[in-house]
Amino acid sequence: MENKKELEQITNCALCANMCKHGCPVYLATGNETVTPQKKARLVLYEKKAFIEDEKGFFDVMFQCAMCGACKLNCLYDNFDLRDFIQKERNEAFKKGIIPDETRKRVETFARFGNPNGERRLIQKGEGEIGYFISCSTYSDQQLLKAVERILAKNGDHVQEFGGGDICCGAPLYYAGDSEGFKKAAGKMKEKIEQRKLQKVIISCPTCIKMMTEIYPEVGVHLDIEFIHITKFLHTLLKEGKITVNKVNATATFHDPCILAKELGITTIPRDIIKMLGFELKEPIYLGKEAHCCGGVPGGRIGDSKLVNKVNAMRINELKETAADVYISACPTCKAVLSDIDMKDIAEVVAEQIIDG
Amino acid sequence: MTVETFMSQRGEVSPKFIEKVKGIVGEENVSESECDLISYSLDYWLYGIFLSQYGKLPALPSVVISPRSSEEIQSILRCANEYKVKITPFGGGSGVLGGAIPIEESAILNLQRMNKFISLDETSLVAEFEGGIIGANLEQELNHRGYSMGNIPQSFYCSTLGGWISTRAVGQFSTKYGKIEDMVLGMEVVLPDGNLLNIKPVPRRSTGPSLKELFLGGEGTLGIITKAVVSVHPLPERTIKQSFVFDSIEVALDVVRKILRGDAKPAVVRIFDEPETARYFEEIGNKVTLIFISEGETDFVKLEGKLIKRIAEENGGASTGEKPVDIWLEKRFDIGLGPIIMQQGGIVDTIEVVSLFKDAANLYSDMVSAMRAVEGAISVSGHFSHFYREGACLYITFAGFPKDPLRYYKDTWTAAMEATLRNNGSISHHHGIGFWRKDFMQQELGPHGVELLRRIKLALDPNGILNKGKLIDGK
Repeated sequence: MENKKELEQITNCALCANMCKHGCPVYLATGNETVTPQKKARLVLYEKKAFIEDEKGFFDVMFQCAMCGACKLNCLYDNFDLRDFIQKERNEAFKKGIIPDETRKRVETFARFGNPNGERRLIQKGEGEIGYFISCSTYSDQQLLKAVERILAKNGDHVQEFGGGDICCGAPLYYAGDSEGFKKAAGKMKEKIEQRKLQKVIISCPTCIKMMTEIYPEVGVHLDIEFIHITKFLHTLLKEGKITVNKVNATATFHDPCILAKELGITTIPRDIIKMLGFELKEPIYLGKEAHCCGGVPGGRIGDSKLVNKVNAMRINELKETAADVYISACPTCKAVLSDIDMKDIAEVVAEQIIDG
Repeated sequence: MTVETFMSQRGEVSPKFIEKVKGIVGEENVSESECDLISYSLDYWLYGIFLSQYGKLPALPSVVISPRSSEEIQSILRCANEYKVKITPFGGGSGVLGGAIPIEESAILNLQRMNKFISLDETSLVAEFEGGIIGANLEQELNHRGYSMGNIPQSFYCSTLGGWISTRAVGQFSTKYGKIEDMVLGMEVVLPDGNLLNIKPVPRRSTGPSLKELFLGGEGTLGIITKAVVSVHPLPERTIKQSFVFDSIEVALDVVRKILRGDAKPAVVRIFDEPETARYFEEIGNKVTLIFISEGETDFVKLEGKLIKRIAEENGGASTGEKPVDIWLEKRFDIGLGPIIMQQGGIVDTIEVVSLFKDAANLYSDMVSAMRAVEGAISVSGHFSHFYREGACLYITFAGFPKDPLRYYKDTWTAAMEATLRNNGSISHHHGIGFWRKDFMQQELGPHGVELLRRIKLALDPNGILNKGKLIDGK
């Protein structure tokens, strides 16, 4: 443990009664005590005190976390985030080469192509001081890209779209524990954004925003640019009448992406948009900041695909219970991994209803 | 393994048993990994938690088995009987008496995969859940549908329905909604021999002694609760919060007694002694504070609110408004100080006992004095909660910075239990017995009472496989 304060913090968590376990999606999907926050804290404490012999088993548990922040939301202690400790253990695991296979594959792909998807073309369209960054999750979603382009065309100012190729925020490296690789990726991303002379960047992926606004400064990369999530941009366009929409006579359920809700605090804006479109909202049991994680992609925030599938299946069941006509989210990864219920991105739903003219 | 065990070594289990169990629940649900053994080694028995920071754990399970269905549990228990493997059921792991610690070299039966909402019957006002569901998740399922079970213990966020039943648990809103035994109408239990018992949900019956009662407080020694049907209430239409201060515990107790005699059923009733008043409500000072929450249909709640106010003020209570109630609501789950004290070498714990009204004030003063007299004691404070027309639960919180932690812990518990028994109280109101309080069962139930429980245990579990060393030995 680096300092006394950190030791006190992790020990507090390890000695707590697990008062946040009810919110942990990995625990709820598996019923496994070991993955609960308090038990992870006990394991971190024991690892630091050299009580644990099974290093591989320990590091595996550190990758059995959605890094969604549900534990922080329900924590008794101020200024404590268990994820900071888990992240450090992931960094350690990476240095020692003890990371899950699926995570390793993503890192290897990143090393080869500069992104987690593999070979892809560079996209650069339009010009102007406002940018739309095509995240890695957005790149492979043609429907979403078309919808975004239709919306961007309605904006009064010009918007330049960029992404693909080797432009990536570095989140896959961050969650894999490749701290050096992530730092380099952050520096490269800064360069790519700054060379485009942008004042503001719109992004569909909440994780990219978290990386660029919260995590980059931690590794000494500072970007003096406003990053806004597409929901805020859509909301403004609708409120200002820059786009007008047909009213839909149907029910809709919104799945709150964990970073969008818990970290960016955006929960009412997407619901306002959905209501503006005429939908009747049918809420799932867990919503807003309490919504459970979709599980993400295997080897992403959670290392192991079996565990990803369990978390994913739980969230799909929770959403399906609303029996809504349409399921909507505001994160391209959530959309992709929740495809069993025909999930749409909020930008697609808006674009479908735009009245041209 | 460099983790040290201080009560019970890890047991050896027959490889044939492990193979058979893997065949029942699947390989991925049977674990002997070091991280799993550490994680299932301890519940929330606070002396164990205190030592856990130094890498000392009370026991390590031989193996962790996580079934998904009653049928799987039936097969596992049959297998355990065949190979004479001791089984410790593990619900939320929030029990404070060590009831889920895998002593006696046992295997853990993790029940947390069985955590689903099953059904809601709005006509009969009952809902069915699997036993491994966490309280907060159970309540979320009900609240979403417009209902509440009304059982909100301090462990709400980490304890399970099966655990509540097994320990005869009680929530903070118990004076209106009842205790767990009032809430459970039916249940499914896997018996130690692997047979399945279904106690069907009806409001009451006259079919001999109530079998339900065997498992309410059975602490996992007599069977595994896999499902339960519980009573639910529509979410309250109106809430009234009131508080009053008094000069003494005696007067406050008398006020509550009179209010309950008047047929009022406030959901929350709590009397805080002077030290707890100072800790919770700084502005009030050296007084006794009494808080009430009334909730339900507007007309009833208003009437109840009036009755409470009248009786409290007629008996010298000075109203302090809603604020203390809001403060309590805000702080009621905050156990964050405990770990901070433990890190500094301090010992903390709580003890809950129960008596009739006639003994309540004496029990309070005697118990607090006896616990304060133990060498190393720093703080002993208490509140009364969970009221009945006949009496109340006394809940004591203590902390000490002793030279010898185990000596202090044992002596404080002994002082508390002896004070309870000499004031005609019962040694536990809702935390149960586990292994830690077991030594006082003889004085609590008498030799014939303990023997009766032993015979029941022996009849149900002749091989002694279920939760050995807890509640009663079954020897």
